[in-house]
Amino acid sequence: MTDIIKRPGGAMANRPLHFFWLADCSGSMYGEKIEQLNYAIRNAIKPMQDVAADNPNAQVMVRAIKFSTGAQWHIAQATKVEEFKWDNLTANGVTDMGLALQLAAEQLDVTQMPERCLPPVLVLVSDGQPTDDFNDGLNTLMSKPWGRKSVRIGIGIGQDADLEVLQKFIGNPEIRPLQANNAEDLVKYIRWASTVVLQAASAPASQVKDQASGGVVPIPQAPTSDVDTDDVW
Amino acid sequence: MSTLLQNKQIIYGELTGQSYTIDSFLGAGTQGEVYRAHASGQEVAIKWYFPHYIQNDMQLRQRLENAIRKGSPDNNFLWPLELVALPNNAGFGYVMPLRPSNFKSIVDLMRRRAEPSFDALISACLQLSESFLQLHAKGLCYRDINFNNVFFDPNTGEILICDNDNVDVNGATGAINGTPRFMAPELVRGDEAPNTESDLFSLAILLFYMLMLHHPLEGKKEASIRCFDQSAMNKLYGTEPLFIFDPQDNSNAPVAGLHDNALVYWALYPQFLRDVFTRAFTSGINDQHGRIRENEWRVILINLRDSIFYCRCGAQNFYDADSSKTDITQHCWACNRALVYPPRLHINNTVVMLNHNTLLYRHHTDQTQKFNFSEPQAAVNRHPQDPNRWGLQNISSQAWTITLSDNSVKIVDPQRSVNLAAGVSINFGNTLADIRV
Repeated sequence: MTDIIKRPGGAMANRPLHFFWLADCSGSMYGEKIEQLNYAIRNAIKPMQDVAADNPNAQVMVRAIKFSTGAQWHIAQATKVEEFKWDNLTANGVTDMGLALQLAAEQLDVTQMPERCLPPVLVLVSDGQPTDDFNDGLNTLMSKPWGRKSVRIGIGIGQDADLEVLQKFIGNPEIRPLQANNAEDLVKYIRWASTVVLQAASAPASQVKDQASGGVVPIPQAPTSDVDTDDVW
Repeated sequence: MSTLLQNKQIIYGELTGQSYTIDSFLGAGTQGEVYRAHASGQEVAIKWYFPHYIQNDMQLRQRLENAIRKGSPDNNFLWPLELVALPNNAGFGYVMPLRPSNFKSIVDLMRRRAEPSFDALISACLQLSESFLQLHAKGLCYRDINFNNVFFDPNTGEILICDNDNVDVNGATGAINGTPRFMAPELVRGDEAPNTESDLFSLAILLFYMLMLHHPLEGKKEASIRCFDQSAMNKLYGTEPLFIFDPQDNSNAPVAGLHDNALVYWALYPQFLRDVFTRAFTSGINDQHGRIRENEWRVILINLRDSIFYCRCGAQNFYDADSSKTDITQHCWACNRALVYPPRLHINNTVVMLNHNTLLYRHHTDQTQKFNFSEPQAAVNRHPQDPNRWGLQNISSQAWTITLSDNSVKIVDPQRSVNLAAGVSINFGNTLADIRV
């Protein structure tokens, strides 16, 4: 009797949610910054898995693009979040952000994406200005329907980050790029992007006051930076 | 990896002044983090909010204070006990009982990681209906019923309702409207604020999800959407909601291959359950005041549980009085063999299957004691000398009177049993039941 199947059917129907890290590993990230970024992303994996576990409607698949001189897939295979592991980035080169967006756009093409999904999530992290044709990359991304439907977050590292470009990437005036000026903020923002934003794309909560709306999904308020910190980049 | 509090950190209860010591980090959500802690030798759970969440939800503290003062509606809620704070820290959280490890979430149910039997599952649904009745009777509104707030024991069907920090007085405006798939359409459209009527819609959704492992509004229309974003959800759950089994309109019917759970489960439950779900998601969509209320769910769920019987293979199946009248043989969903019905009792308009493990309660035997499951009054048993003869034993303190098929009348004293045979009628006191075989 112990092997009896108690009730028929299978797991609840769900849809893939494709999550992309787009990480700046240009020369200016060399040293502490790239290590802080590696730490922050690795630190966010378990919370991301917890959010994914709470959302049976979504099957979260994670990939990563790195860009410096050119852009490459850092983790090319869309990996189930339950199995996702972060490989350390190393920093060297310029900042070909536009190419990173082109690379993402390729995978967001209708021919590469499953027929039915939740909105993809793209998190762009950079400490400086693009050294290539950013607008071209952004246009290519936005020419794809899945690109237009994606939730896009921008996190700037340090004072030289180009917030304007990040805002353009985000494409929603109600969501601001986040500026991380220290390691703690970076950990917090990466975590927010990978949990709260993930949650919003999987199962958006309704319109809450102070929540950005008018986008593909409503995005709850990002955490603020604590004023007193002594670790400034 | 927690960010807000540390192990061994001490925080203070605002009501009792007790100091709680943080033991370990349990998990985080989007509102805050939950920790295991202890005070005076007792283990508790503490939820500590993210500062940015506190800023976004101005009525949070007030709501919690109200809930703490009002107290839990019944034993099934992990209710806030008191607020906790740290000196020199604007943040706060609250203390609640710790959830025992035998409880799994509805998410686990939906992912097939927790596998209750039908009767444990229905018991859980029944407990949910009863607890929400208690909550609403107190003038409160839950407002955010969803998968992550409800836990259950897959063996017993006991439940625990968590995240009671969104609970508020019915009609109060607040930060949260709910979770899209559970929200009543008028809330999704932004036409109304949450209230008891919208809670009732969410309860219907949760019950459908639990019993059918599928959403009642996700059929062909859902299948045709490529990117399931906010605007797609607003349409499917808000402006164009259509029941997948709407008898007048099959344009949102389940699609085989995508919505198989809906197809499998709809077929195996009795007609009376299909009828109530149909009402819940046809007229129940727009007629807010006409939505199925908790007491009606309780009756339906008890009748559903009472209609369970076993196939020879051991699988639990459901007796459907409507289909059994036809000549078509019903088949077991698990092994496909023809189903053989055990004896059953017809009590007023309901049918109670008499399985090897069936117990009857005052709910069944006394018309004035609806919903009383405190002590069993009757138990199915086997004849001590002849294991092929089944009986119903009187384990109450009152004698029953039975009328046999030849119209003779006999008394069944406490501890004695009545043979389960056709044509026998039992008088429990104020309630009559007929045995059918």
